[in-house]
Parts: sequence; C-alpha cells; structure tokens
Amino acid sequence: MNLSGTYTFDADQDIVWGLLMDPDVIARAMPGVDAFVPIENETDAWNAKAKINVAAVSGSYIGTIRMSEQQPPSQYRLTVNGEGQQSIIGGTVVIQLSYDADEGVTLLTWDAEANISGKLARIGQRVIKAAANMMSNRFFGNVAQQLPSSEQTQEQS
Amino acid sequence: MAVVGTPVKRTEDPRLITGEAKYLEDIHLPGMVHAAILRSPHAHARITSINTAKAAAQPGVLAVFTGQDFADLPALPCAWQAGGVTNHVNTPRVLEIDKVTFTGAGIAVVIAENRYIAEDAIQLIEVDYEVLPAVVDAEKATQPGAPQLHENAPDNIVMEWECGSADGTAQALQAADVVVRQRLVNQRLIPTSMEPRGTIAQFLPATGEFTVWVTSQAPHVMRLLMTAFVFGIPETKMRVISPQIGGGFGAKIFLYPEYCLIAALSKKIGRPVKWMESRSENYVATTHGRDHITEIEVGAKQDGTITALKVHTYANLGGVLSTIAPGIPTTLYGRMLSGAYKIPHIYCHVSGVYTNTGMVDAYRGAGRPEATYVVERAVDLVAHKLGMDPVAVRRKNFVQPNDFPYDPVGILNGLKYDSGDYDKTLDRALEMVGYDRLRQEQAQARQQGRYLGIGLSSYIEICGVAPSAWIGLKGEGWGAGLWESANVRVHLTGKVVVTTGSQSHGQGHETSVAQVVADELGMPMSDVIVQHSDTLGTPFGYGTYGSRSTAVGTVAVHRSLQRIKDKAKLIGAHMLEAAPEDVVYEDGKVHVKGSPDQAKTIQEIAGAAALAYDLPAGVEPFLDDTSYYDPPNCTYPFGTHICVVEIDPETGQIDIKRYIAVDDVGKVINPMIVDGQVHGGIAQGVGQALWESAVYDDNGQLVSGSLLDYALPRADLLPSFELDRTETPSPVNPMGVKGAGETGTIAATPAVVNAVVDALSPLGVTHIDMPLTPRKIWQIIDAHSNGGD
Repeated sequence: MNLSGTYTFDADQDIVWGLLMDPDVIARAMPGVDAFVPIENETDAWNAKAKINVAAVSGSYIGTIRMSEQQPPSQYRLTVNGEGQQSIIGGTVVIQLSYDADEGVTLLTWDAEANISGKLARIGQRVIKAAANMMSNRFFGNVAQQLPSSEQTQEQS
Repeated sequence: MAVVGTPVKRTEDPRLITGEAKYLEDIHLPGMVHAAILRSPHAHARITSINTAKAAAQPGVLAVFTGQDFADLPALPCAWQAGGVTNHVNTPRVLEIDKVTFTGAGIAVVIAENRYIAEDAIQLIEVDYEVLPAVVDAEKATQPGAPQLHENAPDNIVMEWECGSADGTAQALQAADVVVRQRLVNQRLIPTSMEPRGTIAQFLPATGEFTVWVTSQAPHVMRLLMTAFVFGIPETKMRVISPQIGGGFGAKIFLYPEYCLIAALSKKIGRPVKWMESRSENYVATTHGRDHITEIEVGAKQDGTITALKVHTYANLGGVLSTIAPGIPTTLYGRMLSGAYKIPHIYCHVSGVYTNTGMVDAYRGAGRPEATYVVERAVDLVAHKLGMDPVAVRRKNFVQPNDFPYDPVGILNGLKYDSGDYDKTLDRALEMVGYDRLRQEQAQARQQGRYLGIGLSSYIEICGVAPSAWIGLKGEGWGAGLWESANVRVHLTGKVVVTTGSQSHGQGHETSVAQVVADELGMPMSDVIVQHSDTLGTPFGYGTYGSRSTAVGTVAVHRSLQRIKDKAKLIGAHMLEAAPEDVVYEDGKVHVKGSPDQAKTIQEIAGAAALAYDLPAGVEPFLDDTSYYDPPNCTYPFGTHICVVEIDPETGQIDIKRYIAVDDVGKVINPMIVDGQVHGGIAQGVGQALWESAVYDDNGQLVSGSLLDYALPRADLLPSFELDRTETPSPVNPMGVKGAGETGTIAATPAVVNAVVDALSPLGVTHIDMPLTPRKIWQIIDAHSNGGD
C-alpha cells in the first residue's frame, strides 16, 4: 500500500533536519510512545513500543525502526517493522526536505510503501490512509513543537 | 378456498419483525464462557512456535489452546469430492498445527469469562512464523515455480475433471463457420449474510451428550459430520439445533473448524462455550464463492446455429477444501454448460486449484451462475460475431417443448431436462420490455452519442438436488444420499405438526409447507405448524441448499399427506359404516361417494384415531406418517431476464433503467415468497456484475476485508424489478414444483454484463470482466475517444 503526505515547518532546513535526526526528539514526538531504546551493536536503530489511539488501528504495537541513507540535510529513509493487533506491519518511508526561500519554510514530504498483514490489512484502505495521515501529522506536529521558536507550524495532508 | 398459489403472508414474520425470534447471539446459557480465535496474519507460513503464557495469565481467562491440544482430532471431512477422478484432499484442522495456507486460518483459541477479555487476550499470544511465498491466482498456482501448498497436491492441483466429448468438440470446432474465443473471469465473491456464523456448545458429563447450537443450513448433516467424522462418537450423543438464522446463501451449509473446536472445548472446560464471528473474521474465515478463470471456444454456423462449446476452467478452491468444494465447479457447473440450448458438442475440463486464499464453496446458485455466465456470454459473442440479434441466436438454438425430456448430449451424466417452454418466457420478456421499440430507441440514442444497452439471459438451472443414485458415491461423488424427510402428525384435536429434515433460514418454509398441508387436508393454515432445525424431534434430512426444500422436502410432506388421507379414509369409512372403497377424502372430510352429507371431518377422524377405542381391524392408532423422498430426477427451472442500461460517458456510471424477469419455476405455492426470492437473487446477481469483488493482494492479504471495501448492492442502486412468470409443471414430482431459491442470482449476472457490452459495442467492445465499475467503464470509453479522434 502506498501512503504519502507533506508537512510544512516554519524553520530553516538545517534546524528541521537536526530535530529529525535527534533520537530524543523522535522519542518525544512519537504518538503514544512507551519505549524507544537503541538496539545494541547497531547505529540509528531502535526498539520501539507504542500505544496507538486512532479508531480502528488502536492498540499496542512493538517493533523496530531503522534510519538509513541519510543525505543531510535533505533526505533519509526509515525502515519500520512492527506487530500488534494480530497484524504485521512492515514498510519503508522516504523523507525529503526542501527549503522554500520565498516563504521561508521547510517543506517535508514523506512517501511510504507499507506491507500490512493480518487484521489491519482488512479494515479498509481509506481507514488506514486516514489513520496514517493523522499519525504523521501528530508526529511532525510534535517535532515542530520542539523548534526553537514554536507555534509557527502549519499542517497539510 | 385453496391457499396454494396465493400470496399468503409469512407466518414467520411477526416474530422476526417484533424481535421475538432468537438468533444465536440471543442465546445465553448459565455459566457460559466465550471464545476468541487467533487467526494467521500470513497467507502461507510455517508456525515455528506459539507462546500462550501471557494470554493465559490474564484475569478472566480460563484457558488457551493451540492446535497441538487437538492433534488427536482428524482434519475435517471433505464430503463431496469431484466424481470419477482423484481428488488431492486437504481440509482444515480444528486449529492448524504446523502450517497455514490462508490468511485467517485459526491457530489458537482463548476461553474467557467474557468476549472482551477473550479478544484482548488473543493479542498477547506470541507466534513465530516462517513466512513462505504465496500465490493467490488459480492459473498462476499451476505454473512451474509456483509456491506449493500441500505435499499431496503437485502443482497445487486438487483435481482435473472433465465432461463431454473432447474429440467430438474439437472436430466440430474445426468444422464450424465461425469460432469465437474468449477468456472470462468470474470473480471471487463474499457471501455476506446479515448474520455471521456462530456456535454454542454444552457438554453434560452425566449423559456424555453434547448440545450444539449452530448457524447451520443443515443441522442433521452437522451432527453426522461432527460425530462420525471428527469426534468418532455415535450421532445419538449429540443434538444440533439451528436457531433463527440470519441468512446463509450457501456459506452456512458447511462444517467449519470453529464448530468442532467449540464443541471440543465445552467438554474440556466443562462449561457452555460460545463463539460468534465478527464481520472481519467472517470475511476471511467463512467460505467465498465463484473465482473461476475460464477460456471458452464456441463454434457456430453462419445462420447462428451453435455447433460446439469447449470450456477450460481454473476453479480456485482456496488454501484448503471446504465441505463440498470440489463438487461445485464440476457437477453443478460443467454439467450445466448446455444451458437452454441444443449444443451438439460440448467439452468441459475443470482444474480445481489450491491457492493461498480463503476457502471457496457453494454460494447462491453454486456452479450454475458460473455456467450460465459462460453460456449466456457465449451466445452473445456468437450473435456479435455474426451480426445477428441476440434474440435470434437464442431462438435458433433453444431446446424445444417437444424435445423434453432432453438429454444435453450426455453431459448431465444420465439425467435429462424435465420440462420447459423457453420461447414462452423469452416472448413474454420481450413483450414486457417492448423489445423492437427499444432497439429503435437504442439506434437513435447511438446517433446522439448515448450508450444504451439491452442484455438478455435465457437461463436454465438445476434444482431439487438430487437423486441419491445419481449424485452419490457411484456417480457424482457426493458422500451421502440427497433425499429429504418429512413427518406429518395429526394430533387428537385435529391440529397438525409437520417436521422436516430441511431447514428454513429466510425461505419461508413454515408458511409454504403449511399452505400445502392446509389444501391437502382441507383445514385452515392456522391449524398447521411446521417444525425444523433441531435434530431432536425432526427426522434425519439433508438441509436447505440447491433449491431442494420444495422440490424434495415439500414433496416428502406431500407424500405423507397422501398416506395420512388414505388412513383417514379407512377410519372414516369405519365410522360411517361404509366400505373403504366407497368413501372419498374431500375438503377436510371423508364422505360416502355421492352423499357429501354422510361425512366425518378430519378432526373427528383424528380424534377417533388417537383415542383408538373403535378402530377398524388391523389399523394402528394415530394419524402419523414419515416419508423419505428420493427424487427420480432434478428439476430444471428456466426463464429470460432482460436488463436495460444507460452508461454516463462522463463518469462510466451504469444506470439500470429497467430489469425484467420472466421465470418459470414450475408450480408456485406462494407467489409472494417466490417474488421475494427472485428480488433478492437479482440484487445479488447485479451485485456481482457491477460492484462486488473479493480482492487478495499478492501476499494473500484480503484487501476487500470489510464492508468499507467490499461493495454490496444497495436498494437505492437498483430499479424496481418487473416480474412475471409462466408455469410449466415439472413431471418429476406429483406437485409439479421446481424450485425458486437461486434463479435470480443465476440469471441476473449475464443479463447485466450483456447489456453493458451491448451498450459499448459501437466502440468495438465484445467483453468486459466483472465487476463493471465506473472506473473500468470510463477507461474503456476514454481510451476509445482518445484513440478514435
């Protein structure tokens, strides 16, 4: 399943990049996160546990998140493997940043290829897409909250 | 006076409308606990380990079991294997142990004090899988290199079955003036009954007896299969009750793993156990229907005479076989491929195939909709090829009234079409739709760039299944008989109780059977009750499917009624001090021939028979008779449906402007009930043509797994159907009845597709695979307008 979205940060691209690379920021921004622990002997890899509270996808999930192919300050990839709700979720997300000098904002686009198995695969693509958009907006919104001067964000989907 | 043939209101309806009827979910037993089943998220995987400790430790959880705990129970029976050929059988286990072959297969169960706890606890079961590659397409599954599902089924083949003459058909195709070839995909459907499946089981240790409530169309068959084939106990140790059932459409015929699981658990736990399917489970764990990939070749003469039909079908049967899966795409499909036509050469080859998808079995029509789709598309393809009117091609090839009993060149394996007048239903349908004027309108519409289409479907079907000698193990491979039973008792007060081995889950048997009894015995319908669906108190019977409850079940009732009347005449004659040969039974009375005043009512005779102090010598007390009726042939309803559509070229949206159905289902007992069956059937048939499709992705995940993504027909999308009937009695049974439960579903799908193809034929369109979604139609129109300009 293909999922994608955008988010606009009212900040310089380097600052946004810095936040997105900071495990503490990620841990604080993840919706419903219970644990976000580095995996031993690996870099940029974490074991995560989260309680998601969005309609049909509500429930506890555990899994791993790996960050790779970083091209500062414009692109990186996240590889996610998780399970919960009698379902297996796997996928990669490519995140790209670009700076709009006219508006003075950093535009983030994300593009995910998700493989979902089990109960979640059956609940309706429209529901999954809406939930993914809602959660990504929450995540990036939480990241934006940690900008040096916050309250200057704007969401899109 | 007579009530047969009149639209008597259904006696079932007051309890259904007021909510008094008890469905499975309404049944609560003291001490009852609840089950939730963990299902595989993978379509093809080995189970390497299962850890149930966390789930078992949850407060309120009584126990957690896995497949290992039921390793002593055999896999479920496959009761109808394709006749005359080797079937490589793999069936579900109560819970799978090592390996799963479809998403949704049960692998563990939690028993808890309530369903909430049970559902939460199954999330805590940890399962390690070794995920294997999956294949979901039946044709691809047979190709080299495809993932192999079962060791005993090379190339994933369940069976290779054929009927008809391969050589004769090949020669006839060679000799034909024209040959049309077409690939037809009959997509997978999900039989969405309003009520999903469920079961409650109670085991009493003192007697060693199970009582099982189950959403079943065939309670006696459930008992037989569970006791004799799974648990290895006498059938007398189990009582099976089908409570009020909220629809079945075939999917509730079968023995499913959950029914055996819950019964076994009730014994292990020592408390009654309930399991009720969610819609999400229903979509993956209950059987699906159709799913054929078919290649046809049809040969014809220039004058429209069809000379040969060759068919090869890949029938997708899912990851494991459901109870009667192999019989559906063989006996009930291949043997129906002559349709309403005299086709001198027919050959059909069916490859039954395992894939990593849910089980596929009978769904309303069961094989006949797939066959009718092939035949009715083939006729239209021939008409198009020859530039003939599809009506003319149909008429040219119809089996004629003086051809009956008609043998469709041996493909029915000894059976013959019973009776029919196919032109008559066609004539009536053409008259109702105003065919000639409509074709003129169509020509004008085409000049204006409008897409108006007219589609016909002149179907036949097979009902009243079936003679045991034909369908059984020496013939078509059905592992049982297929007669039906009835018991009629006239109690002391003259009130009648009929019990039947057939089962009613929406068909209105309680009404239609009572109509027959009322007329035969000459009493008000209110004096008759019809009981069914409980193995305690009803004679063994095979249940409801294949439109058999009237043509087999009610004929059994009719036979007992004749014997009741014969006995009433003996007793009545004695009471009238007349010779038995001098009396007649008429209007609820036995009277001396020629003197209707000298009479005893059935109520008086029933009283005398029950009190028994003055019976003629050698006559046993009580008016009570049991019949087991095994039909000598099936019955063959027929008809013509016409669908008129207009397509919006801007959106691809199909508007059904009119839908005409002229059916001949033999003698009609209750026209209102038949109309209802036809309405519902048409809706489902249109649903397949336009909207419904069960879609698995390449990993075997059901992406149309909820009612958000599986598009059922809605009333607001359908026109008001215009119905009529002709009545050609069946000579097969003394009542002249044929069957009406599936005609709509069988006829409607090709009528709609033929109409849409007809609408788009100016664009060169000769076929479009279902469902005919607006997107698909728009793309065709768009491609043509871009390419054409």
